[in-house]
Amino acid sequence: MSEPIILVPLDGSKQALAALPVAKVLGEIERAALHILHVGEHELAGDELRSRLGREASVLDGFTIDARVGTPAVEILQVAGEIKPRMIVMCKHSGAERGKMLGRTAMKVLHDAPCPVVLVPPERGATPWHLHHVLVPHDGTPSTSAALQPAAELAERGRAELLVVHVTDIRAAPAEPGSLTTPRYVDQPQHEWPAWTSEFINRLACVCPLGHLHVRIVLAHGDTAAEVLRLCKRQSTDLIVLAWRKIWEAPHAATLKDILREAHCPIMVVRT
Amino acid sequence: MVDPLSGGPPAGLPELRARQASLHLAQLPAVPTGDPGWILVEEGFTLAREHEVESLFAIGNGYAGSRGSLAEGSALSAPATFVAGVFDSKPGSAPELAPTADWTHLSTTIDGQPLRLDRGHNLEHRRILDMRQGILWREWRHQDEAGRITQLRALRLVSLADHHLLVQCVTIMPENFSGRLFIDATMTGPVVQVTGSGTTVAMAVARRVMDHAERWTPSTELVEGRQSLELRLGKTYRLDRIVALHTSRDTREPRETAGKHVERAIDDVAGVIAEHSDSWQARWEASDLRIEGDPTAQRALRFAIYHLLSAVNPQDDRVSIGARGLSGTAYKGHVFWDTDIFMLPFFILTYPEAARALVMYRYHTLAAARAKAARLGYRGAFYAWESADSGEDVTPPFVVAPDGQVVQILTGEQEQHISADVAFGVWNYWQATGDDHFLVEAGTEILIETARFWASRAEREEDGRYHIRGVIGPDEYHETVDDNAYTNGMAQWNLEVAAETANLVAERWPGPWQALSHRLGIEPEEPHRWQQVARDFYTGFDEQTGLFEQFRGYFGLEDIDLAAFVPRTAPMDVLLSRERIQRSKIIKQPDVVMLVYLLWERMPPEVRKTNFEYYEPRCGHGSSLSPAIHALVAARLGDTALAERYFRQAAEIDLADSMGNAVGGIHAGALGGLWQAAVLGFAGLRFCGEKPEHRANLPPSWRSLSMRFQWRGQWHELTLPKGAERRKAEEDP
Repeated sequence: MSEPIILVPLDGSKQALAALPVAKVLGEIERAALHILHVGEHELAGDELRSRLGREASVLDGFTIDARVGTPAVEILQVAGEIKPRMIVMCKHSGAERGKMLGRTAMKVLHDAPCPVVLVPPERGATPWHLHHVLVPHDGTPSTSAALQPAAELAERGRAELLVVHVTDIRAAPAEPGSLTTPRYVDQPQHEWPAWTSEFINRLACVCPLGHLHVRIVLAHGDTAAEVLRLCKRQSTDLIVLAWRKIWEAPHAATLKDILREAHCPIMVVRT
Repeated sequence: MVDPLSGGPPAGLPELRARQASLHLAQLPAVPTGDPGWILVEEGFTLAREHEVESLFAIGNGYAGSRGSLAEGSALSAPATFVAGVFDSKPGSAPELAPTADWTHLSTTIDGQPLRLDRGHNLEHRRILDMRQGILWREWRHQDEAGRITQLRALRLVSLADHHLLVQCVTIMPENFSGRLFIDATMTGPVVQVTGSGTTVAMAVARRVMDHAERWTPSTELVEGRQSLELRLGKTYRLDRIVALHTSRDTREPRETAGKHVERAIDDVAGVIAEHSDSWQARWEASDLRIEGDPTAQRALRFAIYHLLSAVNPQDDRVSIGARGLSGTAYKGHVFWDTDIFMLPFFILTYPEAARALVMYRYHTLAAARAKAARLGYRGAFYAWESADSGEDVTPPFVVAPDGQVVQILTGEQEQHISADVAFGVWNYWQATGDDHFLVEAGTEILIETARFWASRAEREEDGRYHIRGVIGPDEYHETVDDNAYTNGMAQWNLEVAAETANLVAERWPGPWQALSHRLGIEPEEPHRWQQVARDFYTGFDEQTGLFEQFRGYFGLEDIDLAAFVPRTAPMDVLLSRERIQRSKIIKQPDVVMLVYLLWERMPPEVRKTNFEYYEPRCGHGSSLSPAIHALVAARLGDTALAERYFRQAAEIDLADSMGNAVGGIHAGALGGLWQAAVLGFAGLRFCGEKPEHRANLPPSWRSLSMRFQWRGQWHELTLPKGAERRKAEEDP
């Protein structure tokens, strides 16, 4: 079996380098090689390429650095198809796209990547990163459980705690068979809550093996994004993992968009 | 989801017998009921729903209960068999029902390939709960990756005729191949285990396998339950497994008894099944409730009756029915007021022998109730909010809620109405059965000791009235409240009934009364004092408005419009927080309405209506016990549309469980409530005088309701066509 790879697209901006500390830690956890990719208008190589990737490019020593010519998103997806990375780690947007939820390239990659995408807020800069707490919003459906497998594996390998946040949709239970949401009746909380928590973990684990992972379930209600962001702050979350059904147009993906816009920590997006 | 089976005319028991007699030996020794009104069907397989299915499809006989788990297991299977009254506890935690070894486990491989739902293709897969016969069926056609199609049919039962026998039969037929079958029918877990409290549970198993030539391989030739067979194309092979289950609660030598028992049974599996089926037939003849015009309601009521019957054992009066019966681990098998108030009426009216066992359980746990009262500085008996084998209160002291909050559980100390609830069950049992022997030997003592508790618990205050402070009523959203209307009302009732009973027993059975008064140290004036306390009890009733105030200060709380939260899938305390709920008028379940229902005959009609109309819109139905009582009271008040809506909600608690409510077991209390809603609500059955009466308000779709019930030793037929008017129920000729 070949060594796993993490693909790290860098566009040469200082903001883009924010992806590196995250990618490096993820690489260590996954025992994966980092594959740095720069897509430009001209062919670059050697020192010229390293220089193009930024003043702090010395941090790139020891990594595979790949340069391509063309449209960034197209080339990133092309390389991803070739090297089949375990994940893509990239900045949410470049300097020129400041204030946007997602840059154009990140958006396209998110849509079409064949693997999970970790989007790093540029304001993180070069601050060292670690993975102690992974937060996962979960709507209680089996399809979300299945989608979260890469996140669970990552958390287990990184010995991080997985905090699963179930935000109740008070208006309607998910229609997907096998979904588990907040119990409609809580006859005796001293019995219902431990049983509900155990069932939530069991249902998650039966489609997303949890191994020795330390899992905690938190029940919340209200706006999902607001609750996730609140808990993210309170729990010192290092990574938010979001399952996405790959429909971007409103009213879909509202939670994903809000979290992408507001979160200060990296966000891993996995597709259901 | 659970869907009715289509096709096939209803199969009556004689017809079933005829079909069974014509069965080929290698086929299963029984056939499923075809009538959709008697079966639940789970088509296909959704792994994540497995715990729900296991609960809904549980089988039992009151002595033992077994979840409807897949024999070969799955990633989410939680097979468990429980024996009523056999508890175990880990240090520092409450006792819980101790699961036995898994007697249903059966794994098969065909040419080395495991036969599992998560491998290959499931061409057909169906589980059928046959409520009429108390049998769990399974039909499965599986195609493995090599294209081999195997047909498997199975039945499983916990015998109602012989409480100690558990039966499993499986047929396997290779549809398009010949190959090697390996069966592993070993039990998982120890066949003999001793609980922490010293109870020995012993299981003995006998198996036999029939090959293509209809030769049985007896149990002794199966090496520890494992067998290898050469399968021939199109031939059927059958495994029978019978388990005998005995405990040191019922015999001195459970292991030996089980061994002898099972050896006798294995030679006549068909006979064991037939006797079981006959027992269910007899049980249904007494307890069935037939609804014409509403198949959904019919099936829901049969489901309720089936699970209630599966949970009760008239032969053992030292056990009761836990909140989830014997169908799951949730609630640890603990017994609550659910039994006395929600389940007991069904048994009293259709299965009085079982009802007697349930009220006797309260008699046997009276010592623990006395000890609890004494520990808290009161006289008499304060029953456990959560009770297991001994009757000690085993309510867990706290819980970590899923929002991370550690919540102190106060119900064990404050939900004191349990003592009056127990007394209410005792009184109702005696009223309906006329079982004077019970009243004299056990019931009176319970009524007296619970009355003594209230007499010592209530305090006379400056207003000259007796008050009870610091309790929780049925509405558990509001804790440590003063003068809860339900608690005070039921305490008042308890005191009055105890005094009445004491006088009655003294007059009619002077000898036993003397012995009892001597043993309990009853002062001659004590019954009179109970009457005085009852007379001066504070009830919270306002004559101006006709309302009971649920507790002191309730009317001053914030009024939150629950209609603004419709539709809603979560309980209100989760949505608004416990603190906000406590400051509001939102209630978890009927409290004053519960009082109105239980003491119906004491309430003037306008008081019933006024209080229902006030409290019903303020109820968040955070308890599964809530919708059925609202259905019942609404039906009695003539609001059939509202009653029907609540009835449907109650019926869906387990059956339409798409939210995981039933994963830890069925809601036995809610099922009892559903039955009450139909019989005491829609049918309006009431016992005001010497004869039962009914004042029916059937839902428009119900063309008729018919049932039998027993009143003071006499069976009655109740048949209500739609629009039936008030009349006396007819006695059986």
